[in-house]
Amino acid sequence: MTTVQAATAGRFVGQAVPRKEDPRLLTGRGRYVDDVRLPGMLHAHFVRSDVARARITRLDVSAARQAPGVVAVLTADDLNAKAGPMLPTLFVGGAMGRGAPVVPLAPGDVRFVGDPVAMIVAEDRYAAEDAADLVEVDYDPLPPIVDYESALSGTGTVHPGWDGNIAAQMEVPVDPGLQEIFDTAAHVVTETFHQHRYSAVPMETRGVVAHWDPYREQMDVWLASQNPHEARLVFSRVTGLPENRIRVMIGDVGGGFGLKNFTGREEQVVVLASYVLGRPVKWAEDRREHLIASAHARVERVTARVAVDGEGKFLAAHVDHMDDVGAYPIGGGSAGAMVALFFSGPYRMGRLAWRTASVFTNTCGRAAYRGPWQMETTAREQMVDVVARAIGMDPLELRRRNVVRREELPYTMPGGMVLEHVSPLETLEQAAAAIDYAGFRASQAAALADGQLLGIGLSLYVEPQTGMGPFANEPAQMRIQPDGRVDVFLGSGAHGQGLETTTAQLVAEHLGVDIDDVTVHQGDTESTPFGPGTGGSRSGPMLGAAVQQAATSMRDKVFAIAGHLLEASPDDLAMEKGVISVAGSPQASITLAHVAGAAYLNSGALPPGLEPGLEVMVRYKAPAGMYSNACHACTVSVDRASGAVRVLRYVVSEDCGVMINPNIVEGQIAGGVAQGIGGALLEHNVYDDDGNPLAATFLDYLLPTAGDIPDIEYHHIETPASTLGGYKGVGEGGAIGAPPSVFNAVADALAQVGAHITDQPLTPARVREALG
Amino acid sequence: MDEIPVTMTVNGRRRTVLIEPRKTLADTIREDCELTGTHLGCEHGVCGACTVLLDGEAVRSCLLFAVQAEGHEVTTIEGLSPADGSLSPIQEAFRQCHGLQCGFCTPGFIVSVHAFLRDHANPTDAEIREGLSGNLCRCTGYQGIIAAVKMAASGNVPTGAAT
Amino acid sequence: MKPAPFAYHAPTTVADAVGVLGEHGDDAKALAGGQSLVPLLALRLARFAHLVDLNRVEGLTGIQRVNGSLEVGAMTRQAVAERSDLVKAVPLLAQAIPLIGHFQIRNRGTVGGSIAHADPASELPAVALALDASLVVASPSGSRVVPARDFFVSTWTTSLAADDVLTAVRFPVWEGRCGFAIEEFARRSGDFAVTGAACGVALSPSGDVSRAAVALFGMGPTPLRAADAEAALVGAAPGAADLSEIGELAVRGTDPPDDLHGSSAYRRRVGAHLVTRALTRALEEANHG
Repeated sequence: MTTVQAATAGRFVGQAVPRKEDPRLLTGRGRYVDDVRLPGMLHAHFVRSDVARARITRLDVSAARQAPGVVAVLTADDLNAKAGPMLPTLFVGGAMGRGAPVVPLAPGDVRFVGDPVAMIVAEDRYAAEDAADLVEVDYDPLPPIVDYESALSGTGTVHPGWDGNIAAQMEVPVDPGLQEIFDTAAHVVTETFHQHRYSAVPMETRGVVAHWDPYREQMDVWLASQNPHEARLVFSRVTGLPENRIRVMIGDVGGGFGLKNFTGREEQVVVLASYVLGRPVKWAEDRREHLIASAHARVERVTARVAVDGEGKFLAAHVDHMDDVGAYPIGGGSAGAMVALFFSGPYRMGRLAWRTASVFTNTCGRAAYRGPWQMETTAREQMVDVVARAIGMDPLELRRRNVVRREELPYTMPGGMVLEHVSPLETLEQAAAAIDYAGFRASQAAALADGQLLGIGLSLYVEPQTGMGPFANEPAQMRIQPDGRVDVFLGSGAHGQGLETTTAQLVAEHLGVDIDDVTVHQGDTESTPFGPGTGGSRSGPMLGAAVQQAATSMRDKVFAIAGHLLEASPDDLAMEKGVISVAGSPQASITLAHVAGAAYLNSGALPPGLEPGLEVMVRYKAPAGMYSNACHACTVSVDRASGAVRVLRYVVSEDCGVMINPNIVEGQIAGGVAQGIGGALLEHNVYDDDGNPLAATFLDYLLPTAGDIPDIEYHHIETPASTLGGYKGVGEGGAIGAPPSVFNAVADALAQVGAHITDQPLTPARVREALG
Repeated sequence: MDEIPVTMTVNGRRRTVLIEPRKTLADTIREDCELTGTHLGCEHGVCGACTVLLDGEAVRSCLLFAVQAEGHEVTTIEGLSPADGSLSPIQEAFRQCHGLQCGFCTPGFIVSVHAFLRDHANPTDAEIREGLSGNLCRCTGYQGIIAAVKMAASGNVPTGAAT
Repeated sequence: MKPAPFAYHAPTTVADAVGVLGEHGDDAKALAGGQSLVPLLALRLARFAHLVDLNRVEGLTGIQRVNGSLEVGAMTRQAVAERSDLVKAVPLLAQAIPLIGHFQIRNRGTVGGSIAHADPASELPAVALALDASLVVASPSGSRVVPARDFFVSTWTTSLAADDVLTAVRFPVWEGRCGFAIEEFARRSGDFAVTGAACGVALSPSGDVSRAAVALFGMGPTPLRAADAEAALVGAAPGAADLSEIGELAVRGTDPPDDLHGSSAYRRRVGAHLVTRALTRALEEANHG
């Protein structure tokens, strides 16, 4: 754990600077959406389906309408015709396969347990829940579609009237050349990996406060979101209001992990309801709703077939992938294309072919969750170990033989993307050394002789940060005020990443001011430039580059003015903590405030032809793809009596390029790793055969606690990116690398006694069963 | 049901609120006392985000009805924070050790750690993990939190660094 | 997740508490620590028109030695019992309490409340059953004592009538060479046990097992005494008992639940192992005593 050092003069990037966000969050002065209270504000509560698939034969809200404190009870008849399209931006134009036909409230039939059927709007949430008890709904149940097989079997469609349940599909079939490789390879290993359903579960549930004022003709929305401008677009589409009459404000957000990146259905319904009723309305999702009806993730299956030569070199692979996107996926839709394209990861794999399909089912919809495409790593890294065991080679050695080496970069992956500025072999060796791989094999053998099962698991991956489509550019706007203080306006939506701090560090470094003199603004569409929010690990590479570019641009302008005022060449100037000095002339200096005063208030003093003011607006256009990479290594013990798995050591060797703030980098890794360990061992959104969600509270959806996560050991390699600043993304990696390293460690432990496990999560009962 | 008056001391100040008996202490603190630092993470007593001190003992305020606090002393995160803009030693330790990211679970942790360290002056690593296992965090993986508790327990908390 | 409305009563005497409960019968529920009841109310899995808060009733707290037993007032906080020196006289209770939830839960949860709530996967009902505790119950017709083996009827169901209030629990104190151990398996620290065993053994002067108590939790709708296992252990010479076999015997015939956290067969398997572990520890302690 890197301890914090006080920032040294002129060197802010790379320092573990304490966060600017912390004082308000530590003292309970954060402002989360449920903290927002408006005069006359009403509270919304949804009546939800308790069956997975059914026609609604009767919906009687008359008693609810009369209940004390109730202002309105809205049904599909009241709202649906008033709503415009409800899909997030990614789906406009069919870019991500066909999105689900989202409408505000269930349109005569329900498609998953939790499907909102009616909305109570009342003076407080207690009264709203009382009124919900009075709503009478009769259902005519239909056989629910709850898994891949039933989705494809043709016995029914999740969305009535649609032709089947395929949300997206893509295939690059095996051609004769590839078939030849499979036919002649020394080994062909096939295995199927099922990833179970688990999800983001931030500590703050979803929430929104919407306030339509017909006299100001303004819709104000406070939202728990990662993406204010996307939200504004979405609210504009659903209400029909022009975007410039909508203001979205994101304050502090209690975690998102992708779930709050695209605007959910209920948030849109609440905004629409406020518009229709002309009253402010708040919706604060409760935890049961969150666990059954917000969004799930990770339900995927991959059958991998890998051809290997006599020396363990990968020759080709075929990936057959399927994912279950539920009834109403939010934005994230299918990961299939990326899973297939990235399957080769950091390895040479020769030729690749694939087939992917996403299916709708009568379950809670899927949303992006920290590395939404991570099944490629989960399946591939487990597959590497399976191949290793099949051909009698140690998994570390098999990786060494196949990993792309520095000399081979830039390397074109079989999927077509080009890998550059990555260090998978270096991270592999660093992690293996740190965990003392060879030493562990010896302890493992000794433990087995004693009847104890220990295991070691590796996971190696490259992680793309996408600069494509809506994510291709990142804004940063900067203004220096007359007193020399700096305001930065970002298109981001931080929810724990410390962007107020890292941005200030970058500005301090590249402009030459004190961190305390920088104030960062984000989350309010009224004052910030249009941006893609915060997600996809873009804060380092894109936002960092944009801020750096804005800072250097601003410094150039400051020096142009200062040079003119000091009668010195701008090339001879330096600025530190807001004081500009001339190299070689210690007496000649002026303050940034002085320069700002001239810029705004004394245009005559400026260099001829220079536009007054100190304002810069930058849009950084990122390259199409950038990669960070890491290797995770963990050791586990498996209790033979109960099957309980305990993670003993957890090592991460990661390369996210230049680190802006090492504490924040390690914090992102740690959070992702904990989610990965939780996903591997504890978390499971279970459905029964009738489509009933069984993990509806924290008593059954088990999150890892402090007792479940060991000390994480971090090691860093810095291979700068090609982007300005060289910063790469680190937000998602932990959740990508951790599940397969844990799976591999347990499989490694079990393999010693001939046991084999493919069912996830690795609950004690399942592991015990596998042990026989 | 009808509202009844309830008088309790909150962060050293006597407060009388008018609430239904079924209104939880957590909701009453947040709405009637307008102290929004106490958060709702689950409302069924598992996550610990709603932790407050009741007569000095750490409890889950979502599992208490405000009416039960009649005549008792409630201390929230706001009451454990110095009023002058500085941070308490425990809070400063969390800041130094990057023991928070989104901050939603943080007040619950600070209150719990306050009580835990008062009762365990020299906790072992295992005791710390056990003691913290009733508070859930989704962002930090607990690494910075455990480091912060160790730092606070050691008494060697650097005084507030710049910014 | 807000509870349904209820009328709130805060009696200050047992008589008043019993009176209110009697008046409203099944429409009323006693509120002790609330750590189990309030989540059910919040989820609206249960609702009662009347909630009778026992937290202000006088005379229901306190721990004292009475005639060879440790008498614990029903409303004694688990945290208070955990810190109490007197509770050391009942080692099984002292070992069990720290396993309950987390310290914040124990600050409100009560010894009597946990026993009266009778969750089959919780520790204190099993401890009460293992030790043949006596439950002191107040009702409109006066006070009576119910032996633990008659108290637990089914999941969340005891022999308490709607107008009964549990006022104290008397845990017998074992004398002589004895040892106690509680072992449980839970998904995470503080979670409800998937399965567990609370055991006590006493040795005669010659070292034979003179008494054995094995109570299982998480293995059925109530805590269970493994009578056959106990019988097999009594009389065994030092070191002669096959504890693995006794563990198997303890779970034979049980019908544990099948759920997200484990199948019936899994619980029996792990349960047997925990009995073995607990008896091993208890015997070790007794032998050194």
